[in-house]
Amino acid sequence: MMRSAVARRIPFGGLLRRRILPLLSFSTDASPTATSTPSSSSFQAPPQPAAGKYPGREHLGTATLSPEPPPQGASGNEEATGEGEEVRQKKTARERGGEGDYEEEQSRVLRAALGHVVKLGWSDSALIAGARDVGLSPSIIGSFPRKEASLVEFFMDDCLEKLVDKSESGELNLNTLILSERLSKLVRFRLEMQAPYILKWAQALSIQGQPQNVPTSFKQRAMLIDEIWHAAGDHASDIDWYIKRAVLGGIYSASEIFMLTDDSPGFHDTWLFLDHRIKDAFDVQKAVKEAAYLAEAVGAGMGNSVQALLRRVSQGFKM
Amino acid sequence: MRTPTDSHGQHCSDDNISSNLSIVTRYDWVTRRRFKEVNEEEKAKLVGNVFTKVAPSYDLMNDMMSGGLHRLWKDRLVSKLHPFPGMNHLDVAGGTGDIAFRILDNINSVSHRALKNGQAEGEDDTKIYVLDINPNMLAVGRMLDSRCLQWVEGDAEALTFEESSMDGYTIAFGIRNVTHIERALDEAYRVLKRGGRFLCMELSHVDTPLLNKCNLRLLLVFSHPSNGEVVAGDRDSYQYLVESIRQFPKQEKFARMIAEAGFQKVEYENLVGGVVAIHTGLKL
Repeated sequence: MMRSAVARRIPFGGLLRRRILPLLSFSTDASPTATSTPSSSSFQAPPQPAAGKYPGREHLGTATLSPEPPPQGASGNEEATGEGEEVRQKKTARERGGEGDYEEEQSRVLRAALGHVVKLGWSDSALIAGARDVGLSPSIIGSFPRKEASLVEFFMDDCLEKLVDKSESGELNLNTLILSERLSKLVRFRLEMQAPYILKWAQALSIQGQPQNVPTSFKQRAMLIDEIWHAAGDHASDIDWYIKRAVLGGIYSASEIFMLTDDSPGFHDTWLFLDHRIKDAFDVQKAVKEAAYLAEAVGAGMGNSVQALLRRVSQGFKM
Repeated sequence: MRTPTDSHGQHCSDDNISSNLSIVTRYDWVTRRRFKEVNEEEKAKLVGNVFTKVAPSYDLMNDMMSGGLHRLWKDRLVSKLHPFPGMNHLDVAGGTGDIAFRILDNINSVSHRALKNGQAEGEDDTKIYVLDINPNMLAVGRMLDSRCLQWVEGDAEALTFEESSMDGYTIAFGIRNVTHIERALDEAYRVLKRGGRFLCMELSHVDTPLLNKCNLRLLLVFSHPSNGEVVAGDRDSYQYLVESIRQFPKQEKFARMIAEAGFQKVEYENLVGGVVAIHTGLKL
């Protein structure tokens, strides 16, 4: 079961200055009620068109100008449909032939597009090929808020989901390992997911680095690092929380970039580099702790010496 | 308050109904001008007359009315469409081919060369259809076309194309001239493939009161019917073009109409504070 942090999938970007209408069943009156002002032109609905001509619109007709207002207190709608007659609701988008939710279709296109990334890169070409694979017009790509970035973000989300599933199912056998080994194994498992796309990963990084994509990329990486620490068994809530995530974030990014230029079989050098960096981090942590203990000891020793000196001085004055 | 007078100095009420009861003349207190609401038969006839008369100077009129901004608006529409090589696209009320030429340029641009290389062999070439009910408008576009667009005379309310045959459908500054908007939307839905997109750009309604006042003042300057006489030699047609904007549904209402036609992910974007709105919908 995924944690709520991952369950809240990062949306594919906010739609600035655009208002998205919920696809509800809209029902509108064919005519407003007549006003008592004689000069205002009022509308009334004409007789309904033949059923089946315009499916789902039978109750509406077409609003036309009427030279005379309808009787006071009666709306044109009542005249057209008759009192007590049930007004047919318009079909919603989904009833009318939509075969799936937009987000589902978007995910299908993006998942199919991942299969073309190795050949076509993180590009429109891959998205177009993906749309064709799932039997949709490639025009749907125009509705994705940030095009290629949507594909990279989808991949990042997908990898995070797999990482969490694996760690929570216990398949990674983390319980038998010490903390540094756990972290190393989790980072390696995550980076291995990028291995098939390594020749095109520099392009993905450049897409993530574009100003409009940076906020989402940063959120996704922060979430990834947090999940790795959580899976490794860290539940700190003090100032260390920030330090740990900053350090591991640096190690992850360094390993990711090292991986781009690694020609060794099975990325052997990358995993060696990763192990060393994590070991270094723990060594630094150890050194910092030792320095802290030393400072405490020195502070305590100096404190005792000063106290003894003051005691002697005060005793000398008493003499 | 003083009663407004018409061009002959006669007093007129807010609404005068003409003798044949088909045309209602109203007086707008803000712009101090009268405008007409017409019934279906009158509208179809009037629209036909308008575009027959203004066809040769249509682009110049657009430049005058928008101060050249219509070019930027159309570029924005095409960028939202996100054209791709091999697409079948229908540009309705395409007239002089403004949008179609832009789509073609976008597809042929340097950034899309890579896409062409990535296409499967034997894939159909790009086909862009420009549809307009007015042959005069199409004739103007045809003269400019050296790139084999498909020019089709037809009605937005009764398209002759097969069901699920188009990847994209655009209509720019045309839907307010359609007699039955719902029918045009139904037809758009019918001809689009699953995943196909509907994009409509139309002069719309400004929400911000301050901007609204400025917009009305600008309309007075840029779109005074006397300009129509100078540019197109036709005052009434020009006045219709401007005043048909008032009759067009507001952004929210039009978005609902698109959703009711069956489209999903219905959105709109206001340009210049709502002077122009681009509505988009997706067929799934």
